[in-house]
Amino acid sequence: MKKISAILVVLCIALTCAFAQGGKEAPAAAATAAPKETIKLTVWVGDLYTEVTEKIIEKFKAAYPDETFEITVGIESESTCKDTVLTDPEAAADVYTFADDQLLALVNAAAIQPATVDADKVKTENGEGAVNAAIVDGQLYAYPMSASNGYFMYYDKSFFTEDDVKSLNTMAVKAAKAGKKVGMQFGADGGWYLYSFFKGAGLDMKINDDGMTNSCEWASKGGEAVAKGILDLVATGGFYADSTSNLVSAAKDGTVVALVDGTWDANPIMEAYKDNYACCKLPTFSVSGKDVQMASFAGYKLIGVNPFSKNVGWAMRFASFMTSEESQVARFESNGDGPANIKAAASASVASNPAIAALATQSQFATVQRVGGNYWTPAATLGTILSQGNPEKTALSDLLSTAVAGITAPVV
Amino acid sequence: MKGKFKQFLGSIGHYFSDFGAAVVHGDWSVKLSLVFMGAGYIRRRKYLYGVFLLAIEVFFILLAATFIAPNLAKFGTLGTVKAEMHFDDVLFTNVWNDFDNSFKILLYSIISLVAILIFALIWISSIKGAYSLQKMDEQGEKPPTIRDDISSAMNEKYYKTLLAVPVGGIVLFTIIPLIVMICIAFTSYDEQHMPPAALFTWVGWANFKQLFTTSLTSTFGYSFGKILRWTLVWAVLATFTNYFGGIMLAMLINNKRTRWKKMWRTCFIIAMAVPQFVTLLLVRNFFADQGIVNTICSNIGLTSLLKKIGLVPAYLNYIPFLTNPNWAKFMIIMINIWVGVPYLLLIATGILMNIPQDLYEAATIDGANSFQQFRKITMPYMLFVTGPYLINSVVQNINNFNVIYLLTNNVFETSDQLLANSHARETDLLVTWLFRLTNEYYNYKMASVIGIMVFVVCTVITLVAFNFVIRGNKEEGMQL
Amino acid sequence: MKNSNQPMMKERFYPVRHIVLLALAIFWLIPIVWLLLCSFSTSNSMSISHFFPEKLSLIQYKNLLFKTDAANQFPRWMLNTFLIAAFNCLISTFFVLQVAYAMSKMRFRARKGLMNIGMILGLFPGFLSMIAVYFIMKTFNLTNSHIGMIIVYSASSGMGYLIAKGFFDTIPNSMCEAAKIDGASQNSIFFRIIIPMSKPIIVYTSISAFLAPWVDFIFAKIMLNSGIAKDWTVALGLYGMLDRSRKNLYFGQFCAGGVLVSIPISILFVVMQKFYVEGITSGSAKG
Repeated sequence: MKKISAILVVLCIALTCAFAQGGKEAPAAAATAAPKETIKLTVWVGDLYTEVTEKIIEKFKAAYPDETFEITVGIESESTCKDTVLTDPEAAADVYTFADDQLLALVNAAAIQPATVDADKVKTENGEGAVNAAIVDGQLYAYPMSASNGYFMYYDKSFFTEDDVKSLNTMAVKAAKAGKKVGMQFGADGGWYLYSFFKGAGLDMKINDDGMTNSCEWASKGGEAVAKGILDLVATGGFYADSTSNLVSAAKDGTVVALVDGTWDANPIMEAYKDNYACCKLPTFSVSGKDVQMASFAGYKLIGVNPFSKNVGWAMRFASFMTSEESQVARFESNGDGPANIKAAASASVASNPAIAALATQSQFATVQRVGGNYWTPAATLGTILSQGNPEKTALSDLLSTAVAGITAPVV
Repeated sequence: MKGKFKQFLGSIGHYFSDFGAAVVHGDWSVKLSLVFMGAGYIRRRKYLYGVFLLAIEVFFILLAATFIAPNLAKFGTLGTVKAEMHFDDVLFTNVWNDFDNSFKILLYSIISLVAILIFALIWISSIKGAYSLQKMDEQGEKPPTIRDDISSAMNEKYYKTLLAVPVGGIVLFTIIPLIVMICIAFTSYDEQHMPPAALFTWVGWANFKQLFTTSLTSTFGYSFGKILRWTLVWAVLATFTNYFGGIMLAMLINNKRTRWKKMWRTCFIIAMAVPQFVTLLLVRNFFADQGIVNTICSNIGLTSLLKKIGLVPAYLNYIPFLTNPNWAKFMIIMINIWVGVPYLLLIATGILMNIPQDLYEAATIDGANSFQQFRKITMPYMLFVTGPYLINSVVQNINNFNVIYLLTNNVFETSDQLLANSHARETDLLVTWLFRLTNEYYNYKMASVIGIMVFVVCTVITLVAFNFVIRGNKEEGMQL
Repeated sequence: MKNSNQPMMKERFYPVRHIVLLALAIFWLIPIVWLLLCSFSTSNSMSISHFFPEKLSLIQYKNLLFKTDAANQFPRWMLNTFLIAAFNCLISTFFVLQVAYAMSKMRFRARKGLMNIGMILGLFPGFLSMIAVYFIMKTFNLTNSHIGMIIVYSASSGMGYLIAKGFFDTIPNSMCEAAKIDGASQNSIFFRIIIPMSKPIIVYTSISAFLAPWVDFIFAKIMLNSGIAKDWTVALGLYGMLDRSRKNLYFGQFCAGGVLVSIPISILFVVMQKFYVEGITSGSAKG
């Protein structure tokens, strides 16, 4: 009796709370619309961006003096933002920053608000690539924040000449002779980089219209030639695959004299190469005796608004403000992010930044990343096998067709 | 076992026949209690109980109307109204329709079912209680006062007082979530059907079928078999390496010939005090492809030696400690020894001290050497005493997440393409695979199926072990 | 090695076994030493090829403790974790002792059934229900709250009663019977006789419960998802420092944090060693 009643009491309290919650939800939306109420927003940014975001928030408040705001900054890495948002969209921040590869997943889960506030302004003020990266099915979903989330080549210019860096094969051979390495990330998360070889040779891999599954042209004669090309590179002994963070450490040790990486690692690489720091677009590589320019995924950072926010309108206004020309310049100055805003990108200080210049040159070979989730694991495994020189000597056609089967597998 | 099961059924039968008797033989107030709980108590002038029971009933009815009924009504479909919203320019925010959230419906339905069950138990026991009061009245006994009830709660019913809150916690935070997750194995809850924006629904045994099928695009069957095998190998190896390692070390330290016992023990205990995630993440860098250990190994020529004998693939110039499947498995077991032996050292130290010394003295007189003593005295004693612990640790190791997750996450990439196609890796245990499926791919339905399989595996191991290996030690075991 | 058990042998020194022990101890302490060295290094990034840092300094500790920023709130984390751990320790210990006493010293109809259910529940992987627990807590508005964390850690602790029960089983029933004849209630037997005799098992249970929040990063990551560093626990915060984007910036601080967390735990273990051993062995050992 006692036990049962105690359990019941516990349960009663529990259920009452449940009610209290349930009851609150519906009218809350209407209540917040009343004017002159404090507007509460939370915004998630990468941890290196908190300071500059606080500054932007102050400017935002000054721009709307009639309203009172309470804006909290939380930390969520742009690269993994989706994981946290999708686990429970209702608990996610009102405004969050993320890398453009996550946009599709967010749209599919309806965890991102179609960007209606200032949409035209966004479309005209930002570069075409950035705007396209924020559009799904003709609808603008996010506010472009930076255009420098893609990858390119860093190198030590005391080791390589400007002619050397035109061809990856030349670089690998030269590095191997000196006992040095040219590094690129394969293996875990390597699918992002692996794409550049196949796409460079004209073999596409992209998401289907269903927004979930992929189509992939790699299981073909052309694909085998590309795989052979990668194996040839590995066989030179001067091409080396590891995670970018290990590559950066190896650059500091002096073993890695060139690496494929993005602007987020610019500072440590600058420390490593010091005066010999240089950047360029991705080189060509040799496929069946022909030089092929490596392609890449263009990377953008976007700002999304949570449709479950209590203040979606103000959240959009804030997201728009965070991506204004002024804010993008501020972020370039604080963190070296290449602006997506056309005017900001054209400014002298931005244009003279070697990393951003290299990225701009690479951008003509870059495509917006529209990839379904099933791409990553099979591609990473394919990259791992190739970077090890295909130790099992699996027939390349089998290797590619199994990988493609995984990449194009239906989402179940 | 059979007898016990019969006994169990019998006690359930009694439970209901007692209730039937109470209803049939009860007076008007007991019968009224069927509708108005507490009526019987009020008639016997136990007003406090009566009012309390009535209050419970009122609360339950309110609950049923506002929470239980609406949720259970949707339990069959798990919701039909898809979320829709539009941006309202006047309110300057989104307006949502009154949409269904499948997960919440499922969760609240389970809570409702548990609430109904609990209410039914209270209802039955209130009627039985009213009937027993009636019988006492008829026989002229004085019904127990509140003071008597309190005294009984402190004495023969004390277990109820003790268990109430802990069991309540377990029901709410272990049992209900578990039932919910078991249910999810029979639904379509995955990335395409994720609340709040989308709905999921019941799909029967389809997910279980998928776990056992293998085609080029869906390789769950292949991965499950492979990972299950490694999980079992791991659980057995991890348990026994730690177990014997701990005993050996304890014997080494506690031997009479060893000096500075306390210092040695402290060395190992310090290794235990640093949080696992800190040491494991460090050790992972230790053994990275370009890490310190590799630098040292290649400097002293070990790398080229291993290459010569074929333990390291010829195309590598480092030892792939954590990046080659076989090496990684070996390293994981070795590092797990590092992690686990200190615990076993503590346990074994305590137990070794409890072994009656006269056994050893007698053995020494009989001329047994130390190995014979170990085999004939120490091991049997240890095994006898720690048998249940051993089985428990096999189960725990099947569910051992930390070591493998921390050592291989973001480091190890499989080169088995069939595994990759179902997001698994050679080094994965069932639980780490399950975790990746939920955390990175939102495939909750398959994760639940795998979780249920883990349970099945653990149950089989436990049952077999308890029934065949240690019959003697029944107290800790299944007692059906 | 020949065995002889004469006490006078104590005077002799056996080098081989001490060398073996020394080697093992070094093997076990190398990662700890490396942790210490990294925490005293000036480099923020993960140095993967040097064992000894080039220069020793206290800068990492200084930054960790006094240069708090959006990603580093170490003093707050310590406080948060300490509070959660303290309450969890208190509640869990009580729950465990309560259940263990009821199961060990009392006989009632549902006893074996409950014990079997407890055992079956233990066979399910805990992660499985994590997401459901999260939504239950969200229903009560207890996510991103330290009270919520305390509840999550302690609510189901009663299931871990087996070792304590094993210990209570070794206390002779006659002792309880005698007290009962003297008129003591079960309640006073529990509080006046059993608990005072159970120091080892209380120490063991409370240390285990106290440690859980310091090392758990999985549940904490799910429950504390607001992204606001001030709310985090030590484990979550330190784990986050090795996030891909951060690990070349905070590695030194991560090591320093690891050392600072380990110091109190080590002291706790070394001081309480005797009781801990007694508790765990008397509980799992049923001779």
